[in-house]
Amino acid sequence: MTDQTLARPGSPTTSERAGDRTAPSSAARSRRRNEILRHTGLIVFGLVMLYPLIWMAVSAFKPSHLVLTDPGIIPTELTLENFRQGWYVAGYPFVVFFGNSLVLALSSIVGNLISCSLTAYALARLNFRARKLYFGIVLVSVMLPMHATLIPQYIVFSELDLVNTFVPLVLPKFLATDAFFVFLMIQFIRGIPRELDQAAWLDGAGPFRVFWYVILPLMRPALVTTTIFTFIWTWNDFFGQLIYLTEAPVFTVPVALNALVDSQSSQGTGTLLAMSLLSLLPILCFFAFAQKHLIRGISTTGLK
Amino acid sequence: MTLTRTPVSSPPAPPAPGRPAKRRARLGRQDGAAHVFMAPWLVGLVVITLIPMIASLYLSFTDYNILSAPTFVGTENYERMLDDSRFWSSARVTLVYVLVSVPLQLAFALALALVLDKGLRGLAIYRSAYYLPSLLGTSVAVAVLWRQIFGHDGLVNHALGFFGIEGTNWLQNPSTALSTLIVLNVWTFGSPMVIFLAGLRQLPEELYEAARVDGASVLRQFMSITVPLLTPIIFFNLILQTIGSFQAFTQAHVVSGGTGGPVDSTLFYTLYVYQQAFVNFDMGYASALAWVLLAVIAVITAGHFLLSRYWVFYGDSDD
Amino acid sequence: MRELSRRNFLVAAGIAAGAGILAGCSGVAGGTGSATGTRTLRYAFWGNTVRQQNFQKAFEQMKEALDITLKVEFADYDAYQERMTTQMAAGNVADIFWVPSPHVMTYEANGLYRPLSEISSLDLSDYSDADLKDFELAGSLNTMPFGIFVPVVRSNQTLAQEDGVEIPDDWDWDWLTDFAIDYSKNAGGDRKALSYGADHDLSFEAWLRQHGEQLWTEDGKVGFTEDGLGGWIEWWEKLRKAGATTSISEQDGVSPSWEDVGDRCLLWFGNSNHIVDDAAMYPEMDFQLHQPPAGTDASAGHHYLYFPRMAVYQETDDERAELAGKVLQYSTSDVEMPKVVGLTMGVPPNPRVAEEYAEFATPDEQEMLRITAQARDADRRPRYEAPPGTSAWRTTFTRVLEEVTVGKASVSDAAATMITEIDRGISRAAD
Repeated sequence: MTDQTLARPGSPTTSERAGDRTAPSSAARSRRRNEILRHTGLIVFGLVMLYPLIWMAVSAFKPSHLVLTDPGIIPTELTLENFRQGWYVAGYPFVVFFGNSLVLALSSIVGNLISCSLTAYALARLNFRARKLYFGIVLVSVMLPMHATLIPQYIVFSELDLVNTFVPLVLPKFLATDAFFVFLMIQFIRGIPRELDQAAWLDGAGPFRVFWYVILPLMRPALVTTTIFTFIWTWNDFFGQLIYLTEAPVFTVPVALNALVDSQSSQGTGTLLAMSLLSLLPILCFFAFAQKHLIRGISTTGLK
Repeated sequence: MTLTRTPVSSPPAPPAPGRPAKRRARLGRQDGAAHVFMAPWLVGLVVITLIPMIASLYLSFTDYNILSAPTFVGTENYERMLDDSRFWSSARVTLVYVLVSVPLQLAFALALALVLDKGLRGLAIYRSAYYLPSLLGTSVAVAVLWRQIFGHDGLVNHALGFFGIEGTNWLQNPSTALSTLIVLNVWTFGSPMVIFLAGLRQLPEELYEAARVDGASVLRQFMSITVPLLTPIIFFNLILQTIGSFQAFTQAHVVSGGTGGPVDSTLFYTLYVYQQAFVNFDMGYASALAWVLLAVIAVITAGHFLLSRYWVFYGDSDD
Repeated sequence: MRELSRRNFLVAAGIAAGAGILAGCSGVAGGTGSATGTRTLRYAFWGNTVRQQNFQKAFEQMKEALDITLKVEFADYDAYQERMTTQMAAGNVADIFWVPSPHVMTYEANGLYRPLSEISSLDLSDYSDADLKDFELAGSLNTMPFGIFVPVVRSNQTLAQEDGVEIPDDWDWDWLTDFAIDYSKNAGGDRKALSYGADHDLSFEAWLRQHGEQLWTEDGKVGFTEDGLGGWIEWWEKLRKAGATTSISEQDGVSPSWEDVGDRCLLWFGNSNHIVDDAAMYPEMDFQLHQPPAGTDASAGHHYLYFPRMAVYQETDDERAELAGKVLQYSTSDVEMPKVVGLTMGVPPNPRVAEEYAEFATPDEQEMLRITAQARDADRRPRYEAPPGTSAWRTTFTRVLEEVTVGKASVSDAAATMITEIDRGISRAAD
């Protein structure tokens, strides 16, 4: 890690502070050199990381039967056939699946933000007898592999006649069942000094006001992270959506993608890659947009 | 509201003498408030989490083939595990996977998060680029992609060919198949990286200013401010990536076609559970396997928590 | 500023929460068990998007012909089984469903099938008694075959013509051994006589039957010995070690990858119905189907037919069962069906339909019809399905072959391991 990495903007860099002795232009030159080196390194590493995706993007435009038999990165033929072929799955255009995934993702985000922050605040800040017990249960619920609880859970929802709706997928989000985010928020909240809470208490604020006016604003990076991850995981979640969504009109993107290619034959790989590429775009846009909020985070934790 | 901050090097102030009385008075009030806050979670716990968990625990003591009612068999499923060679090999595979891929992945995530925190043009592009693989990490397309990299005619072998080394089919070689999955896990370091970025965002600027005023070097700032304050996030990522890796399923399922091959070298534990449940319809045994995994993860996580006292620093004066 | 953004957040949250609730309620035709509308059935099957589109067209034709609407539940093969498993546990399986081959007898043993003899709308007059006997499972007609697969060896005629070789009709295993080693040694480029196909289940069964054994016995036990299995693996190992087959590395596993090495293998062991999808991968090449090699000393009646099946769910009410019968009838007895969906699931088991379809078949499909008719007309000993508890036998087979090809186990050890494991599965399922 070079010195530059850790410099905060606006703060004098080491070389500048020692700059009394060195002429300013060579300091600027060495900084430029470092920057170029860093960019080069990042770009090369980035290309290595992204090679599979680049391959996928190129292959999406190859005729389907050539994707696997002629797998070079330079295509010999280009076509939009894969997109045309893959656009309709089970009789519905992909827009429907995008829409379903979007509705699911947005509802999940709202559910998670509300329920997980409430739960995390209670577990991190409030003092009550059952706290350690509940925290333990939160952690344990993350540890059981999904396949063991899948069938009993499915039976519960089936008895309630809620299969083939979004309810089994959205309701848990409003009930803080995503222990990952509860735990994430707890860790973030614990990074916020208690003096702030105490100051608010001294001013006569109850737990809810402390939560709303003190903790929640300071948790912004955790909230943004939760939003990003919930969106992406919901967009990509396959198994849960597969078993609860049986008919095409409510299919989401991963279920539709699965129905494109049969594991028994390798026909249609091109279509799979094409539609996977398309389905990446919304999440990528979402991430690019949301991470700006991550950056614009609060640079001071105190209220002056 | 003014804020006084003590520099990190000095220990947190001991609680003021008047505190205990106030705390006790607050305890009663907080119990009620706490349960209001936790109400959604409690409902979810009972309806969505607890019932299936208890059901699966019960099933682990039964013989249940999904199509007929379960019959109670006591600890037979657990005893069966001891003699089951595939159970042991899947345990070994999973353990190797966790021990190697988690530290590697977190190292990359932290390193890149530090590089991409600030101070460089085009950060948003780099961040998105490095995060992109995580978006694909669990998709069906990964199997196809991974074959293009590690297959007989794949990128890796082409690259080795330049140096005159002949590569094998990395995915079909029992000694290297697991490594390709480790690489897959490390490739998707974008997720913990984003969390590290969020954590870095939260680090207070004044501390750095104070340190600079005191004449601390950048390295010193990193070691004394960044690292300690980041420990809750490092801890979080460590715990969750460990738990996640123990439960890794989709990558192995997708890349090996559900078999855990070749020769069970990629038979992750949860893949074995899945095979028992959904292929063999041996739900009782699958439940028992799942609970053993839970017990192991619980023990390891508890260990992490106990050790955390020695290296994790929280901003709140609690604990 | 912060105040304002929090208020906005609250408003946005309210709207989104409302949308979420709306989404939950509107998630289409809530619930399953009771299909809305009088003449509506739930139909579950698997495949890829091409098959799904073809079947969709067929279902629309069916709707016009029968006035029955099908609510389709579609997924790929593996995902289909996963969903079926949860549905079976909860007791809400579709009215009509395709039966995945590993679970045919498991479903039977647990009473998932509604006996078809009870359904009056199903007219079985096109079939001979022998046919109907073939269709039975555990002595009763409870599933409806809708295709026929036979084991075949597919030859790449383009390569054959280039290299000037011909595949004789009366070949046997020894001849093939010599030919394969010879061809691979002398053929130009990276051509091989065949891929390593030891894990192909239908061909393995053909071998066993030729040697007087069988895959499964009538009373639900393993029907082959270590010698039978060992002989099969040995035959392939001999070829592989002599370089007559593509290497495991090249073909991406013991299960050969058509897209990787299909264009340089002269021969390929597979199902009769695979030709339709596989030929599309190499459109410039021609293929032909052949019966698997069989010596003159092959045990009599070794030919057999394999049927993919569909069934009606036991818990369906009588009225819908009758409707289901009509759908089954249309699917298997009306030539309109294969005209639209093609033969990706094999030749129609209804001999009349197979004949009527012949004029609409593509060249590849005509190969299928020809080869299947040969097997159909031959003498055939009875054949029994895999008993409950054996649903993982193919993965065990693959694993055991991997151990052999990697050198971790000898052929005899591998054979013994496989039989022991399958036996254990059977006995565990039995109690």
